[in-house]
Amino acid sequence: MIRTNALLDRLLGRINGPLEPGRSPPFWLLVVAAVVVLALLPTFLSRYELLNFSNFLSNVFLALGLCLIWGFGGILSLGQSAFLGLGGYAYGIVGINLIEIHGNTWLALLAGLGFPVIVAAALGWMMFYARLKGVYVAILMLVVTLLIETFLNQTAGQGWFIGNAHLGGNNGLGRFSGVIREPPSLTLGFGAETMVVFKGKTQAFYYLVLGLGVLCYLGLRAFVNSRIGHVLVAIREDPDRTEALGYDVRALQLSVFCLSALLASMSGILYVSWGNFITPNVFGVFYNILPVIWVAVAGRKSLTATIVGTVFLVWLSQKLAIQGDIAFVVLGFILLAGMMLLPEGVVTGLGERIGRVFDRLGIGRHGARHGR
Amino acid sequence: MGAEPLIATRGLSKRFGGVQAVSEADLSLGAGQLRCIIGPNGAGKSTLFKLLLGSLRPDIGTIHFDGRDVTRLEAHRRAHLGIGVKFQNFAVYAELTVRHNLFLPLSHQHRGRAVEREIDDLLARLNLAGTAEKIAGSLAHGQKQWLAIGMALAMKPKLLLLDEPTAGMGPEETEATVRLIRTVNAEGVAAIVVEHDMAFVRQLGAPVTVLHYGRVFAEGTLAEIERHEEVRRIYLGATKLERPPRFKNRQT
Repeated sequence: MIRTNALLDRLLGRINGPLEPGRSPPFWLLVVAAVVVLALLPTFLSRYELLNFSNFLSNVFLALGLCLIWGFGGILSLGQSAFLGLGGYAYGIVGINLIEIHGNTWLALLAGLGFPVIVAAALGWMMFYARLKGVYVAILMLVVTLLIETFLNQTAGQGWFIGNAHLGGNNGLGRFSGVIREPPSLTLGFGAETMVVFKGKTQAFYYLVLGLGVLCYLGLRAFVNSRIGHVLVAIREDPDRTEALGYDVRALQLSVFCLSALLASMSGILYVSWGNFITPNVFGVFYNILPVIWVAVAGRKSLTATIVGTVFLVWLSQKLAIQGDIAFVVLGFILLAGMMLLPEGVVTGLGERIGRVFDRLGIGRHGARHGR
Repeated sequence: MGAEPLIATRGLSKRFGGVQAVSEADLSLGAGQLRCIIGPNGAGKSTLFKLLLGSLRPDIGTIHFDGRDVTRLEAHRRAHLGIGVKFQNFAVYAELTVRHNLFLPLSHQHRGRAVEREIDDLLARLNLAGTAEKIAGSLAHGQKQWLAIGMALAMKPKLLLLDEPTAGMGPEETEATVRLIRTVNAEGVAAIVVEHDMAFVRQLGAPVTVLHYGRVFAEGTLAEIERHEEVRRIYLGATKLERPPRFKNRQT
């Protein structure tokens, strides 16, 4: 018993730390319960509901990337969805060309993850080594993403083929482009017997997203509570001082920017795997502002809040969207009210209040101040 | 002097648009020495400070530190060579805990439990025992300044750059700060203190460099400086040389 406790302490020690709220045993119990419920969900939900829910969940990576660079690193990017799009397009284009030859999408996956990171490295190098700050990074990223959108929108002509993949202008890559080839779903495995096709309507896809989500959540918790995480938060508070304390601020900003692009690209690849299409819309203003709203309303300084908030808000916008245009007015009011009442984030704010109630009841005193 | 100075600048100049903030400044300081840099508003103290720590590059001139040309070296590399910095205002991470503040400089050399031990040691030395879990912004003003000096010390620098370490302090806190700087200096750490407050400079009793229009105007003991007629005129604001240029860099 003592040995298991020590082991648990060591494991939790890595992912529990002062920089991410939610450290108490009740909090972790809640997390485990949530994962169990999510894992059982396919047995309760209809096929259509599962299809939808898989899509909601796959947005979480985009939001986590933004939470990391903005909430923890202090760099707001208004073009985060560009990396989602680049990942999706790169995956789709390579996938269309190689699926018949290889029978799997390993290379496409690699391209989808790698290409956005290379672009992020180039952009980040220019921005951070020119010591661009604050709002300039945000605006530059918005300009970049709108440029990509404009470019892709004019690729409808027959000249815009990359191998077998037609870029398809504003119809995008996929079934609307008049050309039959659409990007394949993730097809991964080793040898023909173990090959799994992660189509959006399958349970395999759902469990893939869920598994990746849990892994990323725990991994990022460990990351933000590590030494690098402490330095990252210090850079958010004051880059000059952090530099004078002997840290290479620009190199770290660049690395974390690339990591956030990697996370966004996961959402992009999953999106293409889910629906077998992608359009230049994902580079537009709407899709780039959405994650900012999710993260801001949920609580940008918390990974947990970001996940909970994102899934809830995506679900809510879809529920409301069925009601027609008035829904967006309602949604707007909800977001405004949330941000005014709980400026640190709705999920973070509520979590802290619940944590205080727990503290008063004397449960989970280990968890220190913020338990959710 | 025989030994090579710890830090030496030669012909250091920096211009912002039409303003020559620092002009051909020659400054040198031996290991373990103490120096105050004073000067009226806009004399170029802050610019010189930033040139020394590495957040600005000079237009011309060189900086040698510990036998090495560091003119083009970035601030974070200079920090590892042994230049510790305490900035002017808000010199701590006000939103973060005291522990987090001290963790940053200490974690270069220590890991795990050793960092915690070092933090506790340093807190005791800074008269801040028991404040580790407090948010740094909630500390009293003087405590914040000590914490800031502690952060600079935590990297075991050979040279400490202090920008107005007693700004906004009461007499008692100022005295405690003087004692702290003296103790650190007695352990062999050189320090360059940019200061406005003449009472503090007097208490510290270190040699003084006077900056004026970005130039090294005078150097000597405080007594010598105070006898210096030109310096007195500058400080009395009675100088009729020319209209003082306007500076972009903020100074208090």
